[in-house]
Amino acid sequence: MSDSSDEEISQQKWVLYKDRPDWKDVEPIPQDDGEEPVVTIAYSKEFTDVYDYFRGILKTQEKSERALQLTKDAANLNPANYTVWQYRRDIIKALKKDLREELEYIRQTIRKHSKNYQVWHHRKVLVEWLNDGSEELEFTKSILETDDKNYHAWQHRQWAMKTFNLYEGELEYVDSLLQTDIRNNSAWNQRYFVVNNTTGFNDAVLSREIDYTLSKINIVKENESAWNYLRGLLLHDKEGLSKNQKVVKFCEDLYNSGNRSAFLLALLVDMCDEEISQGSGDVLLVRQKGIALCKELASNYDTIRCKYWEYMASTLEKKGTETDDTCTSSTGN
Amino acid sequence: MPVNLILKPKLHKKYLYRCLQCIPSHFASYDTTRLVLAFFAISGLDLLKDLDSLKKQQKIIDWIYSLQVVDNKELVSGFQGSTTLNTIENRNRSAPYKWCHIAGTYTALCTLLILGDDLNRVNKEAIASSLKVLQLPNGVFCASKDGSESDMRFIYCAACISYIIDDWSGVDIEKATDYILKSLTYEFGFAQAPQLEAHGGSTYCAIASLALMGKLSALSEIQRKNIIRWLLNRQKDGFQGRPNKPVDTCYSFWVGAALKILDVFDFVDFDQNKTYVLSTQDNLYGGLSKWVDTTSDPLHTYMGLSGLSLMKYDELEEVNPLLNISQRAYAHLKSLHMKWRLRL
Ligand SMILES: [Zn+2]
Repeated sequence: MSDSSDEEISQQKWVLYKDRPDWKDVEPIPQDDGEEPVVTIAYSKEFTDVYDYFRGILKTQEKSERALQLTKDAANLNPANYTVWQYRRDIIKALKKDLREELEYIRQTIRKHSKNYQVWHHRKVLVEWLNDGSEELEFTKSILETDDKNYHAWQHRQWAMKTFNLYEGELEYVDSLLQTDIRNNSAWNQRYFVVNNTTGFNDAVLSREIDYTLSKINIVKENESAWNYLRGLLLHDKEGLSKNQKVVKFCEDLYNSGNRSAFLLALLVDMCDEEISQGSGDVLLVRQKGIALCKELASNYDTIRCKYWEYMASTLEKKGTETDDTCTSSTGN
Repeated sequence: MPVNLILKPKLHKKYLYRCLQCIPSHFASYDTTRLVLAFFAISGLDLLKDLDSLKKQQKIIDWIYSLQVVDNKELVSGFQGSTTLNTIENRNRSAPYKWCHIAGTYTALCTLLILGDDLNRVNKEAIASSLKVLQLPNGVFCASKDGSESDMRFIYCAACISYIIDDWSGVDIEKATDYILKSLTYEFGFAQAPQLEAHGGSTYCAIASLALMGKLSALSEIQRKNIIRWLLNRQKDGFQGRPNKPVDTCYSFWVGAALKILDVFDFVDFDQNKTYVLSTQDNLYGGLSKWVDTTSDPLHTYMGLSGLSLMKYDELEEVNPLLNISQRAYAHLKSLHMKWRLRL
């Protein structure tokens, strides 16, 4: 299907509203920008014309076929004009227009302006009115094909999934995205979203997800998204961060194999930190290990954050020697 | 330091003056948010310590007030983002669809403060009661009465507005705090809404809103510690907004300011941050952009300057990380608060 309707206005055949016989009865209303406007936009004459007539019908509250067409032209010239979209919806409601047709129109519009808030909102309202989310997974998938981290598309997709209970097959979809780009943080987040809203993180699921994540880390070690997901999983381990034997062994093996990914070292630091807090194991030894890791990070493997890691080393040093367990300074305000 | 990595205040002043005057027709999609552009330009000039050379300050103040809507019946009071719906006939009066936009109100109040206005013509009570209408039962805010999405950005706007007018009756702070905490993800960044992906922009909005509402203490020590880690990990040279995304000038402010509010900004590598931001500077026409060798735009010019200013830069006025205006303008607000409170 052609997505080229937006070119209409730039075509030579474009007739200004003020020259259209069927608009003769409408009074165009100029914008009042005051005596000394700032950030003036050098509007094209088409823009001024369309918006003069938009202000005209807004005043009379005309809700008609021609007014509907006018909102299309106005939205075309500025898809970020939320009043235009709001008024368009009010006309659609008043005229009881075919919502499927509108859905198709907004599909094309979103394809052209996939990072515009107003067009996504318009689609959401339409889907709510139709009370039918059956096209939303396919639709958002098509947008994610051109930008697999488009925040609007993910937001719309999650909304549709929650509203219409559309979780089936999503884990497979997420997996396919991660096979294309193992670093796609949006996909990792979606994985968490699906598990959280379906099975939840019970022991079996937790174990499966840990295996999955470790296998992904094995492919690319320097991947913050996977490490963050792993940490997210461990939030559901009642024993905490440092007691999951599978993860602990994985990390130790990786470290012993010579890997010095900053994400690995940081997790090891946090494991030490937790162990000291819990007073489990040989606190003295664990503290030494934690401090050594912080120093490695500060001087070799995460030098951009060296001040932070030095600070972490100093907190570990103090830790367990005092009763107080604060790690950051006072509140900001 | 290479010569093109030195801040060029003169060029940026010129760039911002140009934005303030007239922008080309292909900026038509900014038509509904001209006030935001004015804020970027004027606050940018303020950070560049060049506000005095700004002529017609009173005229600009008047233009901003022409965007104010007072409508206690429809409860749409506040500021519009632009004069798009203003006509001679509805001048200073309410009219159908002439509604405030929450980001318009936030940027109007900030810009007025920067220009030294005393906010006496702002109808604060009307704004507070209209703000109330924009908060949804789950605590989040919409931008306008109808036809708007809702997310963390607008909680931030609502918090700034309430803080500035010194009236929190328009915000259910408990509910807003609850929504913010629910938007904290497993990565320990905040998303625009619960369960979405953690993002540098929404994390700034969340942290700043909590601070403005006096609710930073709602974060547990563990949460705070992990949020700081997530924020610090966003630095590559400049800052990125999400893991595995390219760095972008504006996050030097969003992420930097969040760290500043949490009192740990000194952990940032200033040199690398500066170098990145300055590498996106247009050394010919002025302005900054999100990436190296791309076209400057008002947002990234302003965020770049405010991001640099967080690091205390000689040529720049210091920025207030909560409201994203200069500390000078913030001090003016504080003096207004004192006056208002004494009058009561
Ligand atoms: Zn940006």
